[in-house]
Amino acid sequence: MTALRADTFPEDAVRERARLGAAAVFPPLSDYGGALLGEPQGPAPADALDATRLVPPVFMPRRLEKLIDLAREPLHGDVDLESTVGGFAARLPLYLSAFGSTRAVGTDLGRAAAAQAGALGIPMVVGENVVPVDGFTGERSLLARITAYADHAPDGVGGVVVQQSTEDADAEVWNRVYSDPATRPLLESGRLGFELKVGQGAKPGIGGLTVVDRAQADRLAGQYALEPLIDPAGDRVLRCASPGTFTDEILRQQIRLMRNNYPRARVWVKLPPGRDVAAAADVAWQAGADAVTVDGAEGGSGWAPTASLAGVGLPLAECLRRIGSPRGCLLVSGRVWEGLRAVKCLAAGATATGLGRAALLAVDENPQSGLTRLVEAMTLELRLLISALGKYHPSALSTEDLWSPAGWPVPAEQVVAARG
Amino acid sequence: MDTTTSAPVDPRAHLTSPSTRAVLRVQHRVLDAVREHLGGEGFTEMLPPVIGPVTDPGARGAKQVDVDYYGHRYKLMTSAILYKQASLTAFDRIFCIAPNVRLEPLETSSTSRHLAEFHQIDVEVAGASRDDATRVAENLVVHVVRRVVERCAPELDVLGRDPDAFADLLSGQAFDRRTHASAVADLHDTGHAQNPDAEIDWTGEALLSSKSSRPFFLTDYPKGSRGFYDRENPAAPGHLLNFDLLAPEGYGELCSGSEREHEYATIVARMRETGENPAKYAWYLKMVREGVPGSAGFGIGLERLVRYLCGLDAVWQANAFPKIPGVVSP
Repeated sequence: MTALRADTFPEDAVRERARLGAAAVFPPLSDYGGALLGEPQGPAPADALDATRLVPPVFMPRRLEKLIDLAREPLHGDVDLESTVGGFAARLPLYLSAFGSTRAVGTDLGRAAAAQAGALGIPMVVGENVVPVDGFTGERSLLARITAYADHAPDGVGGVVVQQSTEDADAEVWNRVYSDPATRPLLESGRLGFELKVGQGAKPGIGGLTVVDRAQADRLAGQYALEPLIDPAGDRVLRCASPGTFTDEILRQQIRLMRNNYPRARVWVKLPPGRDVAAAADVAWQAGADAVTVDGAEGGSGWAPTASLAGVGLPLAECLRRIGSPRGCLLVSGRVWEGLRAVKCLAAGATATGLGRAALLAVDENPQSGLTRLVEAMTLELRLLISALGKYHPSALSTEDLWSPAGWPVPAEQVVAARG
Repeated sequence: MDTTTSAPVDPRAHLTSPSTRAVLRVQHRVLDAVREHLGGEGFTEMLPPVIGPVTDPGARGAKQVDVDYYGHRYKLMTSAILYKQASLTAFDRIFCIAPNVRLEPLETSSTSRHLAEFHQIDVEVAGASRDDATRVAENLVVHVVRRVVERCAPELDVLGRDPDAFADLLSGQAFDRRTHASAVADLHDTGHAQNPDAEIDWTGEALLSSKSSRPFFLTDYPKGSRGFYDRENPAAPGHLLNFDLLAPEGYGELCSGSEREHEYATIVARMRETGENPAKYAWYLKMVREGVPGSAGFGIGLERLVRYLCGLDAVWQANAFPKIPGVVSP
């Protein structure tokens, strides 16, 4: 365990799951037979997704279908969680979201998370700016994370998706990954992908930011904008990456060029929680993206101005509402760490949910098995909750399974307007 | 001669083999004929740079080679395109025999048609349209082939290449041209899964090429398949005023060319569409901003042309010191 903190995140609960695994899904065993349980009286819901409830029906025709199939009453263990996530076969409707070169991911956390994600058979995204800062080869490098994943992944499942920022493009990260002998087994088994990063979840409109010391800043000068104002007394400097300029045509053509240049790789597109997220997602799917990932404004692991964190960008619930019924594979992240929020996202249209900060905290708590245990707990919750809705695969979930005081579905005309 | 696609084991054995010597003599004759023809058409031969702060971003995933230039990251040229456009501020019609280095993806090691180091016969004409450029390319190829047939009979004999293979090319009939979209439709009809938004893949190119008895042009590639410098057709947005020239008999692409973008703002926007960082292209954008002529041009792969002329199984056989992608070679 390091000094890693996540003050705006249920850190203690995540760390507990990283220690206890599925046991943490339930109240303490010592309460059994003694405590009278009911809805917990916690703080007010943090956002619209938290305020939304899953609402199982009384009548369950799909459970009847399953009963006929099994010739017995179905149980939660009958929920099949195997999913296709952004073109990859995955054991669960989950993926490891990107974390890049930010210092919180330094040392061994990136590799520890990669190894466990591989063993779990869920796709992993490697964030931007790893190569310009930590290098392509070496202990902390991009290749170290990729090989840690590949060494632990069972045959035929999972996949590694590599982001490329503007600065990464200067370092030709995708070209290098696509041509490196070390990635060839992933490429040849259809388990390599590239993610075009259109923006930052936690700070829409701003590029990636990291704090570096003066010596490192001198080395990076010319590749990044450097902002010395943040540490007047010391020698630390803010390194600012460009967010890049996009129009619908730029996005469409960049996706087509990726498909042209890397025909054997999957193409993912990461969108910021912008007000036109639905229109942008449609452009991406129509241009052939295998997945669109959307980070709610509540997500993100990186450094950002407090003003951005407090008040810029759409929350995940609103992104999901605006996208409505997705045309393609929609992957979402933003404060997801347990099964309830994940199932709500799946019911609202997502194919899978990403673990970002939760995964980092879990491997920080226990580098050998923290993420494995966290996911073990989520897996049990996913099965319990999906079967409670009378359904037996994540793809069967829909907005009928959601209720919120404000009403879940967005009127069709608003969706059309948002798509332009 | 070793007719497999693997690299030669030993440079001495490769260089001294009768077939390699025949191939290199044909290559020499090709270069002679190029200079003879283009010189006669008023072209000035330029010597292209080998390194520079930026090079053609290219496509299909080839990696560039970095060079430490007194502390600055320079690149070995992947093509001469940026310098070709710039050179038109000196002369209206230029050509060069340009060495290029592209660290192609490893999967290209088995295509029989990729080298990590190769040469292009690069041509650029100020004020020209695509039709002007295809005309120059066609006349050049016909001239070169005619010269090789006239003057390299002993070499073709050593190589077992029947000169009648070029009868159709030399018949005086114009090369056929067809659009990318119609080629995609044909490939779909034969059951080949070609992405309509991308370059014709290598298998697809070989299929199209094997159906023809003389070279033909493929035109109007979709925008997302080529570099920022190929001009978008104002009358058909999303399509480029460009072309490839494919050899017959399954040999595939010989040449790529296009009418060029030359307006500053359009080039910057196209750079973004191809994921490029305009900041890298400072010298080029400064020139473009101050004005470069509109133009059209092309690059013919020298080794590919020689492979076709000599009827070789693999393109490495047309290079004295071949470097197959991923293979460590002298």
